[in-house]
Amino acid sequence: MLVTQEFTVSVDDKPILEDINLDFGPGIHIIMGPNGVGKSSFAHALMGNPKYQTDGAVEFFGKDLLAMETHERSRAGLFMSFQTPTPIEGLSNFQFIKQCLDSKQGSPGITETLAKFKGLTDEFNLPNEWDKKHLNVQASGGEKKKNELIQMLMLNSECAILDEPDSGLDVDALQILTNVIQDFASNDKIVIIISHYESLIKNLNVDSVTVLGKDKTIRGDVDLAYQVLDEGFKNIV
Amino acid sequence: MTVDNLNQTKYKEGFSTETDSVSLPPGLDESTIRNISAIKEEPEWLLEFRLKAFKRWQEMAEPDWSELNYDPIDYQALSYYSAPKSRDKDDIPQEIFDTFEKLGVPLHERDALLGIEKDPNVIPSVAIDAVFDSVSVATTFKAELEKYGIVFGSISEAIQSHPDLVKKYLGSVIPYTDNYFATLNSAVFTDGTFCYIPKGVRCPMELNTYFRINARNTGQFERTLIIADEDSYVSYLEGCTAPAYDENTLHAACVELVTLDNAEIKYSTVQNWYPGDENGVGGVLNFVTKRGLCKGESSKISWTQVETGSAVTWKYPSCILRGDNSVGEFYSVAVTKGKQMADTGTKMLHVGKNTKSTIVSKGISFGDSSNTYRGQVRIGKNAHNSRNYTQCDSLMLDNSKALTLPVVSQYNNSSIVEHEASAGKLSEEALFYLQSRGLDEENAVNLVVNGFCKDVFQKLPLEFAAEANQLLNVTLEGAVG
Repeated sequence: MLVTQEFTVSVDDKPILEDINLDFGPGIHIIMGPNGVGKSSFAHALMGNPKYQTDGAVEFFGKDLLAMETHERSRAGLFMSFQTPTPIEGLSNFQFIKQCLDSKQGSPGITETLAKFKGLTDEFNLPNEWDKKHLNVQASGGEKKKNELIQMLMLNSECAILDEPDSGLDVDALQILTNVIQDFASNDKIVIIISHYESLIKNLNVDSVTVLGKDKTIRGDVDLAYQVLDEGFKNIV
Repeated sequence: MTVDNLNQTKYKEGFSTETDSVSLPPGLDESTIRNISAIKEEPEWLLEFRLKAFKRWQEMAEPDWSELNYDPIDYQALSYYSAPKSRDKDDIPQEIFDTFEKLGVPLHERDALLGIEKDPNVIPSVAIDAVFDSVSVATTFKAELEKYGIVFGSISEAIQSHPDLVKKYLGSVIPYTDNYFATLNSAVFTDGTFCYIPKGVRCPMELNTYFRINARNTGQFERTLIIADEDSYVSYLEGCTAPAYDENTLHAACVELVTLDNAEIKYSTVQNWYPGDENGVGGVLNFVTKRGLCKGESSKISWTQVETGSAVTWKYPSCILRGDNSVGEFYSVAVTKGKQMADTGTKMLHVGKNTKSTIVSKGISFGDSSNTYRGQVRIGKNAHNSRNYTQCDSLMLDNSKALTLPVVSQYNNSSIVEHEASAGKLSEEALFYLQSRGLDEENAVNLVVNGFCKDVFQKLPLEFAAEANQLLNVTLEGAVG
């Protein structure tokens, strides 16, 4: 369970989100909202990006999330996919994921890890030798999104916040994405998706929809998403 | 993010060794030089070389053009010779053996010591010359190398055993008039490594010199001379460490390399002299002149350096590409932290036709340190169809400074010179990204910095690439708090 109580997010002491009270259990949750309302900030603040100051409380599987450092949040099972992940020269995709796994307890051996990684890069139709390519260097927008999902699967996190995982993906990739998310969520995982794309929303079994607005936050089921897609945000938040 | 605890990093080579030593009293005049020469029982021509250099040095002024600031060096307060009492190579004092053992430098030819019969077909991978303060104390696998006609050992021995070679090449690449520190070195050098690879021989193992400063208030002035005769090849590595004393220690070395037709020297350095404490107290002042002469056609000299130590580094390993089709390379990683200052780079002097040079320099600076790349590429008027490629990247953290000062002078139109440069701060965004996958801050910094240096580390011999990586990680330890 991820529960936020009076969760407030600020940048340079200017509040962006105020008093957000939400809970997310196992299943698929969609977050929507007008541009600039702070959806990405919500995700980054939960992950511990030092750019943001936070207030209130966030409970993550009984733990005080806000008291943890970013890497501890990850090790506690939280994952966030980035809209534009940073390129790191000289660090290969596989070397990176192996290091991440090694930093956790009980990491599997290199052969097993590599086999799993290569299996996933095949499944996602990534180029051969993707394991040797440098992290987010000379990769297309779509390839980067796929790579983020592979990291999610490799780390097998309990809760994944996906920040617009569908932007920049072609139809085939979108199909893979929906399958992966649905499959991942079916293992009692929490998946929180920031998205506006009908095609993604209608192909997933959505458990809740949250609309973040300037002054209020609305929670509903998948119909709320369709209402937003039909009418826009104006009449809702 | 705060990145200010780097200085607390333990310099694990900072111990000192108690040993009986013979030292000259502090001070520098003509008699000091005559004394050094007498102790070493040198031939007359070498004493003359030293005295000419000393005379010249007295007329010179210490250079002040670098980006380095340090207290004036009192040359009269230094001792110019310190050596363990026992000079018998078969009777190395135990504590010196232990010192090198502790530094991970094996002076035993282990198999022989353990009484294991050697398989004549198995060649060891590394031979070591160990220099302790002013003298070489041991050289391993000397006999093995002699089978190939390779001379590897201390320059003092070579002066006695191969005087013609030493006389012919000493000062031929770095003349005694070259610069303030090289001239001082020419006057007072005490030991160093000599290496000669005969015609057509590919040296079957890595040759490694390990320099250890131990004595207080003693300058280390080593002189290294490597000659690769026609069609030969050698890979050479030097490593260096010193105890953590409060006073600065002066190190002014000269390294001369000569390659004849089709010969290649690959010279790698892992420099880890004591950098001083968090307030910039103590540390080695490292003023080094390194130069290679590609004398023969199609010969090649490649410098690779990983510089993490010293309070002050002033060093520009260079190549004179005289032979047609000769190749010069310079790959460098320089890491500075705390109050360290580095002013380092290279000179590529293209003289012959179709000569090629490559420069890849990576500077990483933390804390209040400063890190300058200074380079010169000169394409002479007869160096037709020559090429240079230069790439200089710097990565900065905290209040550190990085400066890139490349100079290119081109005197013919058929040659091509390319330059690429980048400078950037280690981004919080990158660190956050890596941390969000479970890596702690220190690990995240390590991965970014290691990735940044990868191009250069790949140029190191395999055995030493791991060591360099390790050293870099130790250097970065506590870089983040």
